[in-house]
Amino acid sequence: MQQDITEIRNGMYQAGYICDDKTATTLFLAEALHKPILVEGPAGVGKTAIAQAFSRMKGLPLIRLQCYEGIDESKALYEWDYKRQLLHIQAVANQTIDVKEVEKDIFSDHFLLRRPLLTAISCPTPTVLLIDEIDKVDFEFEAMLLELLSEFQVTIPEFGTVKAEHLPFVFLTSNATRELSEALKRRCLYLYLDFPEQELEEQILLLKIPEIPQQLAGQIASVVRKIRQVQLKKLPSIAESIDWGRSLISLGKDDLDVETALRTLNILAKYKDDLHKLDQMVQTQKNLNFQPVLGSSLSTGTTPVQETKSSEAPSKPALTMKTIEKYYKNKK
Amino acid sequence: MAFFHVMQRFCEDLRREGIPVTPSHSEDCFRALSLIDWSVEDFFYSSLFATLIKDYNYKPLFDNVYKRYFKSQIDLERLKQQLLKKGDESVPEGEAPEGAQADSEVKAQAAENQGSFKNKSSSAPDGRKNPLAQDFRLDSLDDVRRMEALFPLIAKRLASKMIIKNKRNDQNFINFRRTMRKSMSTGGVPVDLITRRKQKEKPILFCLCDVSVSVLQFSCFALALLASLEKFFQHVRSFGFVDEIDEITHLLKHADPKTLRANVLKNAKVIGIRGYSNYGLSFKHFFERYGGQLSQKTTVLIFGDGRNNWYDDEAWVLKEMRNRSKKIYWFNPEEKENWFTGDSRMKEYLKYCDRSFEVTNLLQMEDAFCQL
Repeated sequence: MQQDITEIRNGMYQAGYICDDKTATTLFLAEALHKPILVEGPAGVGKTAIAQAFSRMKGLPLIRLQCYEGIDESKALYEWDYKRQLLHIQAVANQTIDVKEVEKDIFSDHFLLRRPLLTAISCPTPTVLLIDEIDKVDFEFEAMLLELLSEFQVTIPEFGTVKAEHLPFVFLTSNATRELSEALKRRCLYLYLDFPEQELEEQILLLKIPEIPQQLAGQIASVVRKIRQVQLKKLPSIAESIDWGRSLISLGKDDLDVETALRTLNILAKYKDDLHKLDQMVQTQKNLNFQPVLGSSLSTGTTPVQETKSSEAPSKPALTMKTIEKYYKNKK
Repeated sequence: MAFFHVMQRFCEDLRREGIPVTPSHSEDCFRALSLIDWSVEDFFYSSLFATLIKDYNYKPLFDNVYKRYFKSQIDLERLKQQLLKKGDESVPEGEAPEGAQADSEVKAQAAENQGSFKNKSSSAPDGRKNPLAQDFRLDSLDDVRRMEALFPLIAKRLASKMIIKNKRNDQNFINFRRTMRKSMSTGGVPVDLITRRKQKEKPILFCLCDVSVSVLQFSCFALALLASLEKFFQHVRSFGFVDEIDEITHLLKHADPKTLRANVLKNAKVIGIRGYSNYGLSFKHFFERYGGQLSQKTTVLIFGDGRNNWYDDEAWVLKEMRNRSKKIYWFNPEEKENWFTGDSRMKEYLKYCDRSFEVTNLLQMEDAFCQL
């Protein structure tokens, strides 16, 4: 069993997602117990990404249903292609055919528009079904979903019952803007993704941006971590720090300094007030530890820094499962 | 078998903390545990967490109970050693029956320890059903902290209830464009009427809050709760008073509930000459300074017990305020039977209040806010 969980962790890593033992255990249990996973956590922390990585790992198609306020069965489950049915009726109107025949025709598979949920169920292979932002839907829709998730079957009145041949792996994500019904929660395993620890974030940056120098990744991780301790409207999450790393790389920076940080803060802050706060924080360098940066800016001559960097850059440790293993062991 | 009982008691304790753990939760939990290698704590912990807990706000409560049951007693190293002693071949293979047996022995031991632990902490309040229904008896710091743990929970529940309330209110004008568009698919017959959603007017709240020692904790909880519901109450202005009144909105904005009280008393001028709550004088001063800002859009909330220390009640001020604002609500942390006793001037004040609420615990507070 431990091997299974480690395997999942390795597999997820290969699929581009670093997960810890707890997350891997939940994934393992979801697979073993055939239960959907309800993933909660702050925005941008990798809720959707975990489903995507899981589907990559399993080599299964990912079917995504993006929920929004007012989504209904016709958008999520199935709909009859009314216009085509009309055309069909008009086409056969001249030929005198039995009405029953026509009816049978127009309510056949041919005129059925499959929406994500039905697609996932009727797929001949197992699928990964991602129901994104489930907290946005209305209560009626949630109740409908309940039936689907427990039985994995859909009844279409004119057509019959479609039952899943293979149970799909279901991920539900929620930003917790409202409370989901107990009934829905009861059917799911619960997984909460939080902001990662500094080392883990560094690893994620290294994995997601292969060309990033380790030093920069470390700096970003440490600064972002500091920023998360401040009262902001929207805390920067992993998605933001990856964006930041990418933009620093495309600016040609190997090193984070105050000036660059000031110019690129708008990637981290999504509100005017937040931006203002961060701006002051960076300018005064209060609470923010730019230490590796301070060192370089003080020693104006960039050569010594360059040297250390060049000595580091080639020896940037190949990020393997081993380093991750080591990280977890150290953590313990 | 022994471990089974430990788990049962574990679930019971979770319930006692107010976490909804149904039999189907615990069934899932057992099924998960049968699949998992228990010697790795992360596996064990997350299988419990994923199956029993469905809301992140319960995590602190869960962690507490978990620590009490499993953290202190089970030394993972010792567990491993015991497993190793059981026979080398059973461990690497991880055969379920053998491993489970060894485990259950250790857990049985843990159960014993746990039993003794329970005896020690016999002061733990039993029969406490819902922590939300607990009274605001904030004598000890412990109680205050427990309240704080519930804080995000209640804010979330409140928010979700209010969303329902808003959504139900859509029996309004027809949205012609969308109705016609929809009717295309039914041959021009408008089968489904689509109504326009009514933009709910967000009230401007003026909260007057007694911050004298007797009711401060209660009222600050209420205010902080209001402040956290920014989504529903965009404009909340809070005023604290004892026998002088001062605006405390900025103090509450990002306030930490632990330091709220000290903060308010330190940074706002709420204490006048005498230092005993004086509702009449405070209302008068409020009306003099801020009365001009009251309008038909403002709702006034008053948090306090109405105990005026035999000062003049100046109820006419409240009448004036009522004339100028939309509604006045009174939240009283005392039980209703005691409202009209002693130096309480509730009787006079209630004449001019649209509604009053008895809020002795968080549940009642939730209900009251929902009715705003």
